[in-house]
Amino acid sequence: MQMDALINLAVSLLTTVSILVIISIGLAVVFGMMGVINLAHGEFLMLGAFFTLSGYRAGLNIWLAMIVAALGVGLVGLLVERLLIQFLYGRLAATMLATWGLSLILVQVVVLIYGPSTQGLRTPLGTMRVGDYSMSQYNLLLIAVAVALLGLVFVVFTRTKYGTKARAATQLPHMAAAVGVNAKMTNMLTFAFGATLAGAAGALLAPVAGVLPGMGQAYVGRAFMTVVVGGPGVLTGTASSAALLGTVDSVVSNAFTSFLGTAALLLVAIVLLRFLPTGISGRSGRQL
Amino acid sequence: MTINKGPSTPRSPRQVQMGLAASMLLLTAACGGGGGAQAGDDGDGPIKVGSILDETGPLNIYGTAMADATKLAIKDINESGGVLGRELELVSYDAQSDNAKYTQYANQAAQRDQVAVLMGGVTSASREAVRPVAERTETLYFYNEQYEGGVCDKNTFNTGVVPSQQLAALIPYAVENFGPKLYVVAADYNYGQISAEWVKRYAEEAGGEVVDTEFIPLESSEFGSVINGLQTSKPDAVISLLVGGNHIAFYRQFASAGLGESMEIASPTFGLGNEQGVLSNEAEGITVAFPYFQELESDANAEFLEMWHAEYGDDYPYVTDSAVAVWNGWHLWAEAANAADSLEREVVIDELESGVTYDGPGGTVTMDGPSHHLVQNIAIGEGNGENGFEVLSTEESVPPSFEQEVCDLVSEPDTNQQFTP
Amino acid sequence: MSNTGTRDRVKDWVRTAGRVPREALYLAVIATVVLAVTGALPEFRAYEWTLWAIFGLLAASFAFVWGHAGIFSFGQAAFFGIGAYAYGAAGINLSPATGETLTALLLGTLVAGIAAAMLGYFIFFGSVGDVYVAIITLAVTLVLLTVMSSTADPKYHVGDALLGGYNGMAGIPPLMLRAGTALDTRQMFAFSVILAAAVALLLNILRRRPFGRILAGLRENETRTQLLGYDVRRYKLGAFTAAGLVAGLAGSLYSAWGMFVNPSVFTLQQAALVAIWVLVGGRNSLLGAFVGVALVQGLSTALGGSGDTWTPIILGSVLILVVLLLPDGVVPSGLRAVSNVAPWVASHRLPRTVRSRLLQRESTELRDVLAARSGQFKPKRLEGQGLVKHFGGVKALNGVDLRVDAGSVRALIGPNGAGKSTCFNLLVGRYAPTEGHVRLDDDDVTRLRPDQRAAMGIGIKMQVPSYYGALSVFENLWLASFAALGKVEDSNRQALRVLRWLGMDDRASLDASALSHGEHQWLEIGMVVAGAPSVMLLDEPTAGMTREETHKTVDMIRDMSQFTTVVVVEHDMEFLRQLDAPVTMFHQGLVFAEGSIEELRKDERVLDTYLGRRPSIDAAG
Repeated sequence: MQMDALINLAVSLLTTVSILVIISIGLAVVFGMMGVINLAHGEFLMLGAFFTLSGYRAGLNIWLAMIVAALGVGLVGLLVERLLIQFLYGRLAATMLATWGLSLILVQVVVLIYGPSTQGLRTPLGTMRVGDYSMSQYNLLLIAVAVALLGLVFVVFTRTKYGTKARAATQLPHMAAAVGVNAKMTNMLTFAFGATLAGAAGALLAPVAGVLPGMGQAYVGRAFMTVVVGGPGVLTGTASSAALLGTVDSVVSNAFTSFLGTAALLLVAIVLLRFLPTGISGRSGRQL
Repeated sequence: MTINKGPSTPRSPRQVQMGLAASMLLLTAACGGGGGAQAGDDGDGPIKVGSILDETGPLNIYGTAMADATKLAIKDINESGGVLGRELELVSYDAQSDNAKYTQYANQAAQRDQVAVLMGGVTSASREAVRPVAERTETLYFYNEQYEGGVCDKNTFNTGVVPSQQLAALIPYAVENFGPKLYVVAADYNYGQISAEWVKRYAEEAGGEVVDTEFIPLESSEFGSVINGLQTSKPDAVISLLVGGNHIAFYRQFASAGLGESMEIASPTFGLGNEQGVLSNEAEGITVAFPYFQELESDANAEFLEMWHAEYGDDYPYVTDSAVAVWNGWHLWAEAANAADSLEREVVIDELESGVTYDGPGGTVTMDGPSHHLVQNIAIGEGNGENGFEVLSTEESVPPSFEQEVCDLVSEPDTNQQFTP
Repeated sequence: MSNTGTRDRVKDWVRTAGRVPREALYLAVIATVVLAVTGALPEFRAYEWTLWAIFGLLAASFAFVWGHAGIFSFGQAAFFGIGAYAYGAAGINLSPATGETLTALLLGTLVAGIAAAMLGYFIFFGSVGDVYVAIITLAVTLVLLTVMSSTADPKYHVGDALLGGYNGMAGIPPLMLRAGTALDTRQMFAFSVILAAAVALLLNILRRRPFGRILAGLRENETRTQLLGYDVRRYKLGAFTAAGLVAGLAGSLYSAWGMFVNPSVFTLQQAALVAIWVLVGGRNSLLGAFVGVALVQGLSTALGGSGDTWTPIILGSVLILVVLLLPDGVVPSGLRAVSNVAPWVASHRLPRTVRSRLLQRESTELRDVLAARSGQFKPKRLEGQGLVKHFGGVKALNGVDLRVDAGSVRALIGPNGAGKSTCFNLLVGRYAPTEGHVRLDDDDVTRLRPDQRAAMGIGIKMQVPSYYGALSVFENLWLASFAALGKVEDSNRQALRVLRWLGMDDRASLDASALSHGEHQWLEIGMVVAGAPSVMLLDEPTAGMTREETHKTVDMIRDMSQFTTVVVVEHDMEFLRQLDAPVTMFHQGLVFAEGSIEELRKDERVLDTYLGRRPSIDAAG
C-alpha cells in the first residue's frame, strides 16, 4: 500500500481510538474509581456539546467555549452529586435507577430550552492533503487532546493533594477518613471531575457529531464497554482498552462496513471479559 | 464490587407512607388516566380524529413539525366549516419514539376514542406497527411521510413522496449534471436498503453506475470509513440516504475532509429534519428533491406560510416537506368525507379512490385511486447555505409510477403487502 | 453433593411436593377473577393490560434471576427479543400448516432458553463476577441490536419470515389455540394474564424448593455457598436459564399480542426498563414485578396520551423519588408498612414440620450429627506435602509438610504473616499451590475446587465471618446440611440437631445477622458440623469471644474431635492451653516447630519469634 494511504488509515485508526478515550475517561473516573454506574454519562456529554453551542453563539471563541462548557458540566456534576449521588454510594442498582431517571430529565430539559431539532457547529480548522488523500485537521486535534486528557488525569491524581486524597478515599474510605481525609468533599470533587471530563468529550465532539438531545445514547454503550474492559486502572485501563477496541472497530469498519465494526468491538469486549474478568489492567493490579 | 451490597437505610415510617401514598395515587391516575370510555360517534357533536407522532425522543426532529402541521390543519378545516358541518376534535398521542407505544396508542385511538380516521407514524417501522392494528380495528389510516414506497393496503393511504417520484427525478439529474459514477451511503434500515435499490435502478436507466454502497446504523455518527471509501473510489456524486440527527455528522465530516471540491452530494432525505438549518454553510450546494419547499413561490404557499407563522411565530425554523404531507393528508380526508357525505370507512375509501384532488401549498395533489398514493409535483432544489434551499426546477403532477404498476386496490382490494423493486 | 441416588432424590422431591402448594389456590382465585371480569372490560383496556401482564412476566424473570439469585443480568431483554423473533418466525412458517400457534409459543420459549443456557455456560463457567455479568449481558443485547437492525435486506429470512432489519418482522400471526381461530382481544387478555400468573407462581414455588433456597444462599454469600459444597456455577446457570425461558415466553406472547416485533426490544433503554420495573416494584418480589410494570408503564402511557413534553421529566423525577424514598421498592416497603401494624406478616417462616419438631425437646447426640452422611462417622487424615505458594514476588509459603492423623486435633499457630492462613487456604482449595500436594486419606485433592473438596468431607470455617445474614438461623444450618445430605427431610432433622447442640433453639427463626458476635462464631461452627465432615478446618474460631464463650468452644471442639479430624488456627494462648492438643508453629512460610503447647512454651526459639527478641531466625528445622 502506498504511503499516503497508510498515513490516512493510521490517522483514521488513531482518531477512532482517541474518540473512545475521550468519551470514556470521564466514566473511568466515576465508575472505575468510585464504582458509581452513571447512566446519565451520555447526557453529561450531551450537555457539554450544548453548552459549547451556547457559548459559541454568545460570541466566545470556540476553544474558550469548549473549556467553559466542560467546566459548566462539572458544576452540574457537583450539583448532581450533592443532591442525588451522595445518598446512594454502595448501592449500585439504586444508582442506576436514579441516574436513568436523571438522564430522562436532562434530555427533556435540553429539549425544552434548545428545541427538539438538531443543532450545528461547524468543524473548526481546515483540511490538509497527504498525497491523494485529504483529511480533517480536527481529527489530529482530537488525537492530541486524547493524549492531553490522559496526561491531565495522571497529573491530577498523582501530583495534586486532592488527587492523592481521592485515590485514598476510593480505595480505603475508612482508612482515609482515619487519617483526616474528608471523604464527602473528595467524592464530590471526584464526581465533578468525571463530569467535567464527560462535558469536555461532548464539547470536543460537537463539531463532528450531530448535536441533538438524544446524542448521549450513541456513546454510552461504547463508553461502558471501554471502561469495563479496561479494568480498574483509570489511565492504563482506559488507554489500553480504547487502543484495542478502537483498533478492532476501525479495521473491521474499513474492511467491511461500520455496523460490522461495532459488532466486532462488542464481541471482542465480551470475549476479553470472559477471560479477563477484571479487565485488562485488573490482571496487573494497577491502580492508575 | 458487588451490585447487591448495601443494606437499605431504614426510612422513617412517615417517608415510607408518603412514598406509598404517592405510588397509589400514581397507580390510580395511570389506570384512570386519559378519561373514561367514550361512546362512539354519536352523530351530532364534534368528530374525534386521531394522530400518533413522535414528539419526544430522537425522532422528534421530524415529528414536531408534523404535529404542528396536524394541529394547524385541524384548525384550518374547522374554520372552513369542518366535516359534515361538524367540528373535528383532535386526539393526539406522543409515541415517544417507541414503537410499542404506536401499537398501544393505535389501539387506544381506535377502540377507546373510536376515531373516525387515524393519521400518524414517522418511520416506516412505526407505520408497520400501526397498519395491522388499524386493519383489525377497521379504522381508516393515513401515513403522511416520505418513505421507500410500495405499500399496497386497502385501509391505508399514503401522502408522502415515494422513490418512483423523487429518486426518478433526482438520480437522472445527478447523473446528467455531476457524472455517471455514484456512491451511495444509506441509513441501515428498510428505507435505506430499499431506496438504495431504487437508486441503482434509476442510475442504470440514466446511464450511470453505483460504484459502492455503504449502510450506516441510525445511531452512528462515525463516518470515517465512508470518508476513506470516498477518497479511494472518487465518485462524481454521493447519493445520501441518511436519516436522523446522528447522520448530520456525515455532511460535516465530508466538508471538513475537503471532499466538496471533488464531488457533489445529492439526497432525497436531506432537509426533512431541517438539516440545512443546522449546517448552514456546509449545506450549500447539496441537491435535493421534494414536492414542497418553503421557498416555493405560489399564492397557495404564501397563504399557507402566513397562517403557519401567525400560529407558530416568525422565527419557526423551517416548514418541512413532512409537515406539508401531513397537511395534505388531513385536507384530502376532510374533502373526501365531505364529498361522500359520510364518515363510514368504506364509503370514504371509495370516495378517495375516485381521485380526490386538493390544492396544497406545494401545488395540486391528486389521490391515485388504485395505488392509494399521490400524484404530486416534484421540485429539485439546492441548499443555499443560508438555512434554506433554492428551487431549481419543478416537474408537475408526477405519478407514483411503480406503485401504479404493482398495486391496484380497486380491482384487487384484498392485497395487503409492501412491494419492493 | 452427597451420593444419594437419583431415585431417592426423586422420592424425596415427590414427598415434599406432595402437598398442594398454596400457589395453586392463588392461581385458582386469579383465574376466576380474570374470567369474571373479562367480559365487562372495555376492549382497549384489555389490550393494554395484556401488555402489562406480558411485561410483568418479563420483569418477574428479572426479579427471579437478580432479586432472588443475585445475578444482575441485563440480558432479559435479549431473551425477550429472541423469544419474540422466534415466535414470529415459527408462527409465520408453521401456522399455515398447523392452524395453531401454540407450537410457535413453545418454540419461542425454548429457543430463548437455549440461548440463555449457552450464554450462561460461557459466563458462569468462566467465573465472571457480578458487575461484569451485567456488562457482558448488556453487550450481548447490544450486539443483537446491531445485528438485527441490519437485516433489512430480503436475503435475511427464516423460511418465509423476513427479519426485516430496523423495520422489524411483520405479519406475525396472533395466538391461535386451534384450527384457524385466533384469540380476540379479550380472550388474549385472559389467556395472557392467567399464563403469566401461573408462571410467576411456579417461580415462587421454585424459590421454596431446595434449588431456590440454595440460590438464596448463593445470593447472600457466594463464597460460603461454595465452601459448603455446592457447585455454584451450575446453580447460577440453572437460574439464568430458567429466567431466560420465562423471558422468552414473555417475548413470544409479546409478538403474538402486537403481531409485530422490531429490534427496539434489544435497545439499552429496553434492557434498563426491565431493571427499572423491578427496582420500583421491589427487587425480590414477583408480585412487585407486576406492580412495577403497572406503575411505570401506566404513568408513561397516561402522560404520553396527553401529548405532553413533560412526560420524560415527570417519569424521571418519579424514578428518583422512588429510589430516595422507597429504596426497596414499592411492594416490600408496603409490606413493611403493613408489618408495623401486623408484625406477623413479614417474619421468617419456617417449614411446618420444623416448627412442630422445635417444640419437642430431645437431646442430641453429636455422633448422630457427624455420622449423618453415611450412617457412621468417618474421620480422615489430612496432609500437605511440600506446599509452596508464591504471590508474585511474595513468598508466602516456602515448603510446608503437615500431617494431621484421622480423628486427631491439631492447632496451627504463628505470628501474622507466617503463612498459616495461606496454608489454610491451600488446604481448603481457595488457592492452588505453586508446588506441592494436598491429600485427604489417600486421595490427592490438589486439583479440586473448594466445593469438590467439601463434597469429599472437608468442612471449613473461615477467619472472616461468613454466614447468611439475611436468612434465618435455621436456614443457614439447613443449607449446610442439604449440601452434604441431599434430602429435604434429612436436612431438616440435621439442622434441628445442630441447633439443639448449639443451644440456639429459640433463635431458629431470627435473622442470622441479629445474633451476637459469639453466637455468629458458633453458628458457623454449627454450619461446618452440619455438613458431617471428615475433616474440620477452623480459622480462629474464638476471635472476639469472651472467656466463657472460649471455654464453651473448647468443649465443643473436644466433643467433635471424637468423631472427626479437627485443625484449628488460633492466637489465643488460653484457648490453646485448654485445648491441650499438638501444635504446629509457622514462621516465614515454613514449619518452625511442632509439639505440645507446653514444649513449645519452653522453646527459646519460639519465644524469640513471638516476642521479637532477636532478628528473624531462619527456621532451620
